[in-house]
Amino acid sequence: MPDDTDHLDRPLNWTAAVLGWICPGFGQIVLGHRRRGLLAMFGILGLFFGGLLIGGVDCVDRREDPLWFYAQAAAGPVAFAADWANSGLLKSGRVGELVQSPPARPGTQPPLVSTFKSVTVASEIGTLYCFLAGLMNLVVILDALKRPPHSPEHSTGGSKR
Amino acid sequence: MMHDFFNPNLLLGWIPLLEPAGALGTIWWLLMIPLVFGISIAYRATHEESLDRFWFRVVAFTVKSTLAMGSLAVLLYLFVYWIIPILRVG
Repeated sequence: MPDDTDHLDRPLNWTAAVLGWICPGFGQIVLGHRRRGLLAMFGILGLFFGGLLIGGVDCVDRREDPLWFYAQAAAGPVAFAADWANSGLLKSGRVGELVQSPPARPGTQPPLVSTFKSVTVASEIGTLYCFLAGLMNLVVILDALKRPPHSPEHSTGGSKR
Repeated sequence: MMHDFFNPNLLLGWIPLLEPAGALGTIWWLLMIPLVFGISIAYRATHEESLDRFWFRVVAFTVKSTLAMGSLAVLLYLFVYWIIPILRVG
């Protein structure tokens, strides 16, 4: 008779967890749960790219918003790519113009910001979307860490995996 | 009047991924629904034993979560605009 604590004795799937960070849902796919992984991938990448569409790449900023970025980074390399695009395109002035904004404190150098910098409510919503995409991918990674590999004898059909 | 809620003209010069979507106007709070929908997909994909009726459960989870947050917003509105003024008068 199976014990309720059986799952505690299972080995952790570290490879699946790492692959799940590299591409959301891929951990479940390599364990044989293809449909489950694809659905998770659809949900997480949909949230992340939805956030980028709403707020622009400025929503992911490793230097200015490090606390948000820690969670966004859990969505995988896409977060680092968005941060790289933000630094390389907007903050460098390659796209748009750099204009002076009021200094944070009197007497300090006024910072240069891109004219594409997101300062509206769209920025906050976009940041939240990317943030939650990262947190949900953490849930998916933890699931891949503990989920047993798919065994055909316990399958109820290919599409149900 | 419609432009107060959603201004489609602002979409004409919009560069996706580089610029924020400025056309949202005052309907930004509706973005909560696709947000909850995306969370529901990822959550249900990992927490369901069987993926039978997956989309039905995702939609049900989305509707319940949205209604719960909407109810909290209504309660907060009542508290701020009705309860607090009564307390001040008292």
